[in-house]
Amino acid sequence: MAKPQIDPRGPRFGAAITATALAVTVYLGLDASTEAAAFALLLVLTALFAIGAIFGTGKHPYAWLFKTFVRPRLGAPAELEDAAPPQFAQAVGLFVAGVGVVLHLAGVEYGLVGAAAAAFVASFLNAVFNYCLGCQIFLGLKRLKVIR
Amino acid sequence: MDQTSRLLLVLGVITLASILGLIWRTTQGRAKLLKSGLQVDLKELGATKDGLPVMAFGERITFLQFSSEFCATCKSTARVFGELESHSSDVLHIEVDITNRIDLANKYNILQTPTTLVLDKRGVVQSRIGGAPKQNTLEEQLGTFVI
Repeated sequence: MAKPQIDPRGPRFGAAITATALAVTVYLGLDASTEAAAFALLLVLTALFAIGAIFGTGKHPYAWLFKTFVRPRLGAPAELEDAAPPQFAQAVGLFVAGVGVVLHLAGVEYGLVGAAAAAFVASFLNAVFNYCLGCQIFLGLKRLKVIR
Repeated sequence: MDQTSRLLLVLGVITLASILGLIWRTTQGRAKLLKSGLQVDLKELGATKDGLPVMAFGERITFLQFSSEFCATCKSTARVFGELESHSSDVLHIEVDITNRIDLANKYNILQTPTTLVLDKRGVVQSRIGGAPKQNTLEEQLGTFVI
């Protein structure tokens, strides 16, 4: 069976939006007066990660933005890539953002900011350096028996 | 926390991520010489090529590429090796999916995919390339094996 294929620039475009939103989350989360806004933003990002992780990045709202506004301005991609790696990255994002939500609800100081910063680093590396989480950590997690 | 400190902290995180990215990028696609003299066991590898089991190494050089299910750059890496292979009859490219072969990942200490082992004609590991290989890395590797 052929694996679903996507334009590899789509997930990078999405990662750029995610990274920007996470940087804003860190900024807002650092001050008590805007912490509630940071938490709301992190909740939204967590929900978006969940969409990407469960339904794939092709069903993600950013994919719609990419298809509608960005891709028509770009040429055809050099080649298509499997849809599974970015979906894996979304699952990692969901986990990290989810940890931030839980830590915040548990009242852990800087838990929200720490998780948002970690997720920022990953999405920034994805957007700017084409860093692929699935390439880098999947095997390590499997060898450590964190995932089956 | 005042606005300036918050902005500086966010800038600090961005700088840190940029430095990490630059360091990561220099580690990718370069060949690292290995002196382990590890002999690759084709039977254990169980690799197939065009539906047939791989029974012999390349006459000059073999690129043994380990891939996984969640690897975005494995496909383009395989294409690059495929082109190299099509240009010279003594070069062999083997791709093994180790998503469900953790025994191989442990044996060859594979942490990321793609990881490519460069083998001599006897199947002894000479070097390893982590990540998508850079063009000059490939030229260097092929040059090393010119007879």
